[in-house]
Amino acid sequence: MNIVMIIIYIMPVALGIYAYSRGDDSFKKGLTRGLEQFIIIVPRMICALIAAEFMAMLIPTEVISQFLGDEAGIIAILIGALTGMMVPSGPVISFSIAATFANAGASTPAVIAFLTAWSIFSAHRILIYEIPLLGVSFFKVRSISVLILPVLAGVFTMLSTSLLSLLSG
Amino acid sequence: MLASFGKTFWIFAGFALVMGILTHNILGPELFHEALSNDIDHLLGIMPRVIAALTLAGFIWILMPRDKFSQLVGRYRGIKGLMLAALAGFITPGGPSAAFPFLAIIARAGADRGVMVAYITSWAILGIQRILVWDLPFMGAEITVTRFLISIPLPIIAGLIAQRLPLTLTIGEEENKPTP
Repeated sequence: MNIVMIIIYIMPVALGIYAYSRGDDSFKKGLTRGLEQFIIIVPRMICALIAAEFMAMLIPTEVISQFLGDEAGIIAILIGALTGMMVPSGPVISFSIAATFANAGASTPAVIAFLTAWSIFSAHRILIYEIPLLGVSFFKVRSISVLILPVLAGVFTMLSTSLLSLLSG
Repeated sequence: MLASFGKTFWIFAGFALVMGILTHNILGPELFHEALSNDIDHLLGIMPRVIAALTLAGFIWILMPRDKFSQLVGRYRGIKGLMLAALAGFITPGGPSAAFPFLAIIARAGADRGVMVAYITSWAILGIQRILVWDLPFMGAEITVTRFLISIPLPIIAGLIAQRLPLTLTIGEEENKPTP
């Protein structure tokens, strides 16, 4: 139980007490609104979680890590980014995969492209939170806007590494 | 309860079914059952947080003076708005059950799309809590610092692209309209 979790549980209680103390119907309305969202989101969330768990198993991590070496350059960045987009689970699985890649000799730009792609495209977050709370239209605008970022992250890393090695002679 | 089974529900359900069949046929029934039991654990683990987040979002929705908040959010549009949004994403603690309800609130308060994209992108790739809890222990200091430094401009780039996209943005779906 870390501090953030405590805040996540204390905040609704505190706001609930405040809403109740106002003496109008804010308390009832707030709870009703929460319940309405619950009814809409939770059935979708259950399906999304089940799908995410299967997808995580279907991705062949060991095979992919062979293609992420330094010699592969920009190709390694692209493969890292694509793999990151397909990992649908939370940080436990994705960081284990990233560590596996790094230990198997993947280049730093490829690992960073992977982590960036997972961070912005992890399917479980899109399915559980983004589409239910913001809608498909926002998801479209956002995914097009961020599509280039994993590759940019990899390329920036590659450039900064070569710049540093140039400077240090 | 009709709202539970709208169009997106069936898309998710169909997707889960296809993935399940693939897992069963490619990896075999044992891994299929393992995935399903992982799902139940995972679901029970996140359910309290989801309930807390939705209750919180419900109270904020009712209590927040939306007119004033809209003015505040709407004031920040250009590059300054994007930079503030990126900073806000960097310091937002907690997982998606905190960041996405907040994003939904500023969306309905009329925030600029670039600001929204910059905020959630910054939270996703630069969020301070995730860097400390996950990046540092798993990847070590060198990769973590490199990734952090080269990622600083990325949320702003994403926000600038979002502002220039010729797409119309409607918040929420027809079946998920906010109650007035």
